Amino acid sequence: MKRTGKEWILGILLLICSLGMSAGVKLCFHACGPKEDGSYMTCHWAEQAVFTIGCVMAVISVLLLIVSNNGMRRGLALALVPAGAGAALIPNTMIKLCMMTDMHCHSVMKPAVIVLGIAAAVLGALYAVICKGEKA
Amino acid sequence: MKSLAMKNLRGRPVRSAVLIVLAALLTFTALGGTLTVASLGKGLDSLEARLGADVMVVPKEATMKKKFEDIVLQGATGYFYMDSKRAQAVMEREGVGEVSPQFFLASTGSSCCSIPVQIIGIDPATDFTVSPWIKRTYGGELGLYDIVAGSDLNAFVGDKLSFYGVECRVAAKLEKTGTSYDTTVFTNEDTIKALISSSLEKGMNDFEDVDPENCVSCLMINAADGTSPEELVNDINIHVKKVKAYKSGDMISGIAGSLSGVSRMIKLLIAAVWVLGLVILLLAFTMSVNERKKEFAVLRVMGASRGKLAGLVLKEALLTCLTGSLGGAAVGLLVLIPFNGVIEQTLGLPFLLPNFGSIAGICTAAVVLSVLTGAAAAAVSAWRVSRIDTGLILRGEN
Repeated sequence: MKRTGKEWILGILLLICSLGMSAGVKLCFHACGPKEDGSYMTCHWAEQAVFTIGCVMAVISVLLLIVSNNGMRRGLALALVPAGAGAALIPNTMIKLCMMTDMHCHSVMKPAVIVLGIAAAVLGALYAVICKGEKA
Repeated sequence: MKSLAMKNLRGRPVRSAVLIVLAALLTFTALGGTLTVASLGKGLDSLEARLGADVMVVPKEATMKKKFEDIVLQGATGYFYMDSKRAQAVMEREGVGEVSPQFFLASTGSSCCSIPVQIIGIDPATDFTVSPWIKRTYGGELGLYDIVAGSDLNAFVGDKLSFYGVECRVAAKLEKTGTSYDTTVFTNEDTIKALISSSLEKGMNDFEDVDPENCVSCLMINAADGTSPEELVNDINIHVKKVKAYKSGDMISGIAGSLSGVSRMIKLLIAAVWVLGLVILLLAFTMSVNERKKEFAVLRVMGASRGKLAGLVLKEALLTCLTGSLGGAAVGLLVLIPFNGVIEQTLGLPFLLPNFGSIAGICTAAVVLSVLTGAAAAAVSAWRVSRIDTGLILRGEN
């Protein structure tokens, strides 16, 4: 079925959120750098986890723009809800960040991932609702 | 009429989008600016409350240290010591009321992070500056190797933190202050002396010849009744050698000056954006009404009263401004609340977000102000619409 303008907009926004999360966590809102001895702090592993989930979400978002079947699109959009919420929970809730909350991982990475993750979850839910409202 | 206003807005998506973005920008600026100024003010109040002493006395050589004021005022990492004889000489001066020593030490990178933590030791028996603040969250006595963690430290009650090989237990966590004290660890005199000894044993202390049992970093003093802080500062600086006394208010004046400068700049920016926004909104509504004169004339012919036409213009303005304002407020809150740590670091000034009620109040005020500004800008156009001469316009003579 032909998709509506709203679906296109939501699909593109979801792709932006997912790509923003996966690329951003490596480029701009990354975790703290390595210690003097070259070892990494725990926030580095939170960054890796967010990057992986972000990549998965980006693939789902691309599929959302390609797949023509309405039911499949709804399923893909729904899959982004727990993925986005899960990504938002990674920094400090699931994987502990550094000791001081004024460090880069706390002050930049955590809020950015939470905002993007929740945005992706909300947009994914909205997409599923819009898809449901349309006749197949 | 409400549905007509909605249809008009949907029919001209670009114009509507521009007006919505403009309203969002106005609200974002008002909310962001006001919240930033309020947070800076609250941060300064918090810093003043934390100082809590009339006079601070430090070893003279400490004043040569880089970031000296940040160390004593904001808990930035760094340390210095003076022997107890100098401290005793200060305590014996006339006019000294309450007095309590403090001990500073900076940790090396601990197991969890590469950035050192400032450790401040207090004497619970005499302390009158930090203890009242600690008592808000911890009522018990600090035992040996017990520490109180600042609110920005990712450590919780019962956690163990290791400094210079000494394992310490987190006994309490402090409320947020918006200053570097949020990343500071507080402990009692015995624990800090044990940590200083350990740092000396490991050769990780810059002051190799310091005796932990006979040293202090600074003295916090309240002037006795009948003596002003100024008189006490002068007396100590003249009569006690190798120390420097400061009046707390004077030390904070530099920060207060920077804060006032930043606040002034932000207020100026808010005013500039609002004036510009108001002019653009006025122009946008005027142009919009001018190009839609025939549409309004047709509505008049179809039976719409002058009041209804004016109401239509006002409703369109209110709808666009309300949508934009709510969007702008949402973006503002999403930027300021989660990223307040980055803003604090960028400004380099005490920054403490107001409580939830105040934020909600500022947010509502910004939205209402933006909607009212839009309505005021549209009111002029609405009045002009209500005065149009239908006959002239439909004949194409106006």
